[in-house]
Amino acid sequence: MSALFALKGVTKKYGPNTVLNDVSFEIGKGEVVGLLGDNGAGKSTLVKIMSGVVQADQGDFTWDDAPVDKMNRDVTERLGVETIFQDSALVPFMTITRNIFMGREITNRLGFMKMKEMDSITAEVLDSVVTIEGIKSPKQLVASLSGGQAQAVAIARAVHFKRSLLILDEPTSALAVRATEALLNYLTHLKSEGVSSVLVTHNLHHAYQVCDRHIVMNHGRKILDVRREDTTVEELTAAVVEGAEGIRRYREGRF
Amino acid sequence: MSDRNTTGVDPVLEAPLATEALTTQRRMSDAQTSASFGARLRHDLQFIRGRGALEISIVLALLLTGYIIASLISPTGFAFLNPNNLSGVISQAVPVLAILGLAAGILMIAGEFDLSLGANITLSAIVFIKTAESVNLWVAILAGILCGVIVALVNGAIVVYTRIPSFIATLGMSFFWMGAGIFINGTTPATLTTSRDETMVFLFAQDFGFFRSQLIWLIIIGVLAWLFLHRHRRGNHLFAVGGNPAAAEAISINPKRVKLMAFAIFGGLVGFASILIAVRTSSMQPGGSATEDFTLFAIAAAVVGGTSLWGGRGTVLGIIVGAALIELIRNGLLLAKAPGFYITLFVGVTIVIAAIFNKLMEGKAR
Repeated sequence: MSALFALKGVTKKYGPNTVLNDVSFEIGKGEVVGLLGDNGAGKSTLVKIMSGVVQADQGDFTWDDAPVDKMNRDVTERLGVETIFQDSALVPFMTITRNIFMGREITNRLGFMKMKEMDSITAEVLDSVVTIEGIKSPKQLVASLSGGQAQAVAIARAVHFKRSLLILDEPTSALAVRATEALLNYLTHLKSEGVSSVLVTHNLHHAYQVCDRHIVMNHGRKILDVRREDTTVEELTAAVVEGAEGIRRYREGRF
Repeated sequence: MSDRNTTGVDPVLEAPLATEALTTQRRMSDAQTSASFGARLRHDLQFIRGRGALEISIVLALLLTGYIIASLISPTGFAFLNPNNLSGVISQAVPVLAILGLAAGILMIAGEFDLSLGANITLSAIVFIKTAESVNLWVAILAGILCGVIVALVNGAIVVYTRIPSFIATLGMSFFWMGAGIFINGTTPATLTTSRDETMVFLFAQDFGFFRSQLIWLIIIGVLAWLFLHRHRRGNHLFAVGGNPAAAEAISINPKRVKLMAFAIFGGLVGFASILIAVRTSSMQPGGSATEDFTLFAIAAAVVGGTSLWGGRGTVLGIIVGAALIELIRNGLLLAKAPGFYITLFVGVTIVIAAIFNKLMEGKAR
């Protein structure tokens, strides 16, 4: 599997604290990568760097084997990175249509929006890209949706605009069980469309269920990077809870 | 609205295979067109409700009806329907406040306030008057509007780049701009004398029977504001940034740029309103408190009209109706010969009620 996006030697300091220390990994095309770790492990900083919101102090990035000189929001937008932050991917008091087309409105030459066209495309997207139960109209306010419906709308948006890398930051933390199942199913389905995704979570069971590969972070370092076939939920748990020491102890106990 | 999407079914998203998706016949577009007239009407009403312009319009209609009845019963005791009074309120007082309300509202939708609105009016009016007296009307119009934009952009830059809450930053700056007015003009009023010619009056303070210039300007500005806020992509970004800056940024809308744009539009509208005020009254007192009321009244018009104090919500129609409501209350109290402080008292209560109401509406839409 060729790499879509590769990070090499990413380091980030906030004052005296080293939040990320020499982190390197690759995300393959159509691969679902689980980014795991306890609170404070550096997951969210890594997400912000990958999405271009925060700049790394050191580190090289390649996209499709071509070096990326500078990572910022404009560059990641052009490359097709879409980040779905927990609870904040959408604007509550805007309609579904306006959320889907936010920042990418269909307009005439003067910048006026073609509302009818956007509404009908939204209806199409909600009908075919993701099937979301209970949504009545593209003109419904996002505030009136449930957490699962809102996540689905955010994902539908990413798919509609043919984003190539989807970063989901704790997407399941606010969801009911059924909605979580559906979301995880949906992630596996995304692979067939050639979309890579990074699932950031502390729920190891959710990650283990769908991810092709798992990366575990601990105190700003990458301590584990394994394919699903080569690991178990127990090993991941040990890594997240006890760090590198946990992995060593788990392997000693097993072999 | 919440009861509409929880019709017994748990909201679930499914990841269908491509073939399944194609065969799914649950087409949203069909559902919409096949709905009965009643269902569609209910949907449309709820659509308006969620945006807060319906109730306020009903309140305004009730108040107007009450005034008309009172005025018919006692034409001299409550002279609301007197043509002079009616034209003064609807055609002069309401438009100026509505334009200022739109200014404040557009900024509030982007999630910011500018409490130096009154000081901005004073300074822009002085700049307009002095330029009109020394150069000519057309340069003066430009200078007045430009002054409003610059004042607001300075405030905006402070707010956006230092991340000081706009309340504090613009409150402080309002004293600065008041002082700036005295600095360029001294403490005597700036007065329009020879420059207040027919053209100037025709443009900004003419009485065409019932219609006055101000009302015509409100219609023009209202239509432009509606097109911008509700139909233009830049207006859409304003709602996005005010409603959820993180989401807007994640989709590569730059919140700082959008907020600065909101401040600039705010300043332009305030500069324009200051010209309307200056031409009508012919003079402007630097450092005076005459314009300070406008700050809170403009924000009040926006809030009463359904604009959220937390950003992200508001409509052009709502704000204009809000301004009309405030001016009608003010006029009614004047006609009923209530002491002056009653006006501030009533407007104060109206703002608080409106804010509570907005909060409840936001809860309802969830």
